[in-house]
Amino acid sequence: MQNKLSFHQSSASLEIIGLPDYSNNENKDQISIISQWKLNIVDKPLIEGKIEHLGPIMDAFYIYSNLLIQNEIPIYESKLIDIKADNLHIHNIVLKSSKPNVKPLVLKMGNSLLSDTINCFDQLNESTKVRIKKTGITTNIPKKSRFGFNKKVNFFNFFIQPFIAICSLILFSSSFIYFYSPPENIEKKELKNPE
Amino acid sequence: MPNKVTIWKLRNNNPLRKSYVSNNIKFNEFDALIRITVEMSKYLYPYIRELMKSKEDIEENSFIWNDFNKRFIELIKERFNTDSMRVKKLLNQAENDEIIIKSLLILSFCISNKGYQKLKNFLYDF
Repeated sequence: MQNKLSFHQSSASLEIIGLPDYSNNENKDQISIISQWKLNIVDKPLIEGKIEHLGPIMDAFYIYSNLLIQNEIPIYESKLIDIKADNLHIHNIVLKSSKPNVKPLVLKMGNSLLSDTINCFDQLNESTKVRIKKTGITTNIPKKSRFGFNKKVNFFNFFIQPFIAICSLILFSSSFIYFYSPPENIEKKELKNPE
Repeated sequence: MPNKVTIWKLRNNNPLRKSYVSNNIKFNEFDALIRITVEMSKYLYPYIRELMKSKEDIEENSFIWNDFNKRFIELIKERFNTDSMRVKKLLNQAENDEIIIKSLLILSFCISNKGYQKLKNFLYDF
């Protein structure tokens, strides 16, 4: 018999179905092996998937919410999910299926539903009854907005620009060595052609 | 926070206020203000949510949003230094939508049990 846990926030509810890891002597009501999850948002199609999709989708929502607050044009892109802001109030979410020949699911979500969804994920993260193992995923986040790391002084970037400038100056001036004709040669040429 | 008067005094550390006094806010006071803000956002979440929802339908001229915006501007005019450029930006109805929505979003993202840590991170990133 599988365990089922639900997290609710206004118009969104997240359901986690799975089993405890008995090899770790876990309680009966614990969920460590997630077999299925369902995200139900009022007036939107049901979103469901396996454990390998849950982590990346949660990460996408968290990263996007950070970008939304810090950035003017927030965009999150990955193999599984794309989130873009239509405007200040509406967000466009594209969920791509891992199965072939399945069209991506496009959702329009307002700020209220976005915060409901993030609060459901927060409840899941804070729950002591569910353990989520993190999975790796490639993301495409604008470099400028990676959690404010850009604010820190990067010494490599600090020195690279003057270094390139010096190198290009040396390269540019070295070309003149080949075209440069010393004054003695000019005098000789003048003697050959007195006109 | 021993009492409400302490909170009231701490508000004067805001440089945008008319009654601004630089008292060098202490770390534990800053911490306490964040905790109070998080608890208030938990309590006010249904209202915050309704405010954000009212702006989602562009065609609908929302009463709830207009009422909130009117009260917000009145409060700022009453308590804040209106000569400051930053306050003028808050009072400009064409510009203040984005500031209000982002502030509401930050509050709505911080209503969980670990909301205190989240709000602190958001503030440090600003």
